[in-house]
Amino acid sequence: MHANDAKALKQSLNYPLYTEKNTEAYEVNCPTSIRNNAAGSGRASLIKLTNVWKIYQMGEVDFAALRGIDLEIYEGEFLVVLGPSGSGKSTLMNLIGCLDLPSKGKVSLNSKDISGLDESELARIRGQMIGFIFQSFNLISTLNTLENVMLPLEFQEEDTTRARKRVEYLLEIVGLSDKKQNLPSQLSGGQRQRVAIARSLVVNPPIILADEPTGNLDSKTGSYILEFLDGLNKKEGKTIIIVTHDLEIIKHATRVVYLRDGEIEKIEIREKSDFGE
Amino acid sequence: MALNMLLHSKLRSWLTIVGIVIGVGAVVGIISLGDAMEASVQSRLADMDLSSITITPGYSRAQSRIPGHGSNDWGGNPTIDAKLTDRDVDALGGIEGIVYAAGEISGREGVSYAGENATLSISGVDPQVWKYMKSLEVESGRLLEPADKYVAVIGSGVASKIYKKNIGVNQVITINGKSVRVVGILKEEGGFEDRQIYMPIDAAVNLITDAEKGVFDSIQVKAQNVEVVDTVATTIEKKLIISRHIVNENDRDFSVIALKAMAQSVTTMLSSMTLFLGAIAAVSLIVGAVGIANTMFTSVLEKTKEIGTMKAIGAKNRDILMIFVFNSAMVGFVGGIFGVILGVLISALFPMIGMTVTSGEGGAIPSVSPGLMIFGLALAVLIGVISGAVPAYRASKMKPVDALRYE
Ligand SMILES: Nc1ncnc2c1ncn2[C@@H]1O[C@H](COP(=O)(O)OP(=O)(O)OP(=O)(O)O)[C@@H](O)[C@H]1O
Ligand SMILES: [Mg+2]
Repeated sequence: MHANDAKALKQSLNYPLYTEKNTEAYEVNCPTSIRNNAAGSGRASLIKLTNVWKIYQMGEVDFAALRGIDLEIYEGEFLVVLGPSGSGKSTLMNLIGCLDLPSKGKVSLNSKDISGLDESELARIRGQMIGFIFQSFNLISTLNTLENVMLPLEFQEEDTTRARKRVEYLLEIVGLSDKKQNLPSQLSGGQRQRVAIARSLVVNPPIILADEPTGNLDSKTGSYILEFLDGLNKKEGKTIIIVTHDLEIIKHATRVVYLRDGEIEKIEIREKSDFGE
Repeated sequence: MALNMLLHSKLRSWLTIVGIVIGVGAVVGIISLGDAMEASVQSRLADMDLSSITITPGYSRAQSRIPGHGSNDWGGNPTIDAKLTDRDVDALGGIEGIVYAAGEISGREGVSYAGENATLSISGVDPQVWKYMKSLEVESGRLLEPADKYVAVIGSGVASKIYKKNIGVNQVITINGKSVRVVGILKEEGGFEDRQIYMPIDAAVNLITDAEKGVFDSIQVKAQNVEVVDTVATTIEKKLIISRHIVNENDRDFSVIALKAMAQSVTTMLSSMTLFLGAIAAVSLIVGAVGIANTMFTSVLEKTKEIGTMKAIGAKNRDILMIFVFNSAMVGFVGGIFGVILGVLISALFPMIGMTVTSGEGGAIPSVSPGLMIFGLALAVLIGVISGAVPAYRASKMKPVDALRYE
């Protein structure tokens, strides 16, 4: 049941994700500039959106889901995007995650404009720099836990033995070492999301993108997942971006972006944040 | 990349691979049958003396019959009362490239032995050249010799199958009331030669009803070698047309049949038959390919969201393409394995349903060679890849956002 999942997860948070050594030993072609920045002030701009529009064509009618978004996201932030349904949160997320390109405006990752990149370069960025966590977990139904977590490393053509070690390590952290052979259908919702978290971390990306990660979980399991992400942010300096309409999440945030009708309504910098200038 | 573990879902529906199984099975079965027929024909041809030419009275425009060793049963054209005679043999005298030319007669006569009577084919041959013309070998005794008169060399079937009591060398049989001593028994050939009796022509002419001295049922010619056979045959035709005073092509009353030409046309016929059967098999392969393509399209549609997920976690278009192509190649491979098994069963079935392609001793039983098995498998995989290519390409080109949104 979920209580167990939550307990396992709580315990797992006591593990450090990486020791110094681990970080050394494990580096998946992540651009060094990012790492260097991570080691630095923690203020470097990682993602920058400049006057971003997303316009969907629906037959004769055009619909602007995003209307001139300007947003800069920094290394090490815990950013929460809040907004009512249909306000354009997922659309924004897709752009930040290099899953889509803006109709107008500029999305820069690591001060590089992504709209000039081709599909395979975008795939490489997604595979190496961004860890995705979805509301509905999005595990591959025919692959077991181990294989699901391993998959991103295979796309990076990582050596199998190293990949295997890395996967085992992450499964231990999320407390699923005993569920390696289970198919997603043989896991609880909380366990599935933990598999998804392990998968998102397996290439050690600097950015974690989560679109309503707790949406399909009970509040208890959900809050442990959030604590886990919080831990990643604090201990590992990972940049976490979460889209939600769950107000509970705000308490972990360093910054909250309020979205309404495709526009930024306000940006709130939180107390606990280091960014409170 | 160990992507092979991906999509290793159970083969969606066995129906998908049935088409491939049947197609590959048919191809493998047909090829093995064709090979066996060809091997059988080839081995028969190897036994035959391809440098021999047979001249028969009568002319038929459709010379599609296969000449036998003996010249009996060699109908000819009954409408023309044409005969081959000494004069024709003489006319061949000057032709370059001929080693021997000899007339033969044949007929079916009553032959009795140990109180039993049977009607058998008798051939009267020139003992001097006969043994060079035919590739016959004796099991016991000897072949005919020039001094022989009322003696016979008999086929193995005559010796052991026709009469209750087996005929041995030096035993006497009675042909049309005349005693004939058996001097040799031929090895079993598996053809009609086994039921044939050979005698010196000079003696046979007295035993065979309606036979006349100097008149032949056929003239056997042996060319120097296989290469000159065609030229020799043409020359013979020209010579005989002149010597027999044939003015008009329609009046032609003899046929020159080179065994070599016959063999060639049989081989050609055989391969075109194999081709035709192969085309039928190809159709079932196409049906199989359509089945796989259809399943792959469905699969791509079903897995749209997973394709989106894989793209989100770093899969390149090429990765997705490979996954789906690999998957359909696997379907092809599994179908291929069962197809090859089916092919083996089919080819094993031919002899059982009496479709023996054998005409000789034991003959060639169709069997599926390892090479053919590999070919069948490779074909199945290839079809899998080809039919999976379009759906896989479509999957690879999906936009990650759209794929992720798909429900
Ligand atoms: N592919 C599309 N084609 C047309 N319209 C779209 C498309 N995707 C999104 N939209 C529209 O854009 C708007 C924003 O959608 P989006 O999914 O970003 O909302 P959201 O803020 O994530 O909502 P929710 O909280 O319900 O997930 C919606 O009005 C939606 O109808
Ligand atoms: Mg949404």
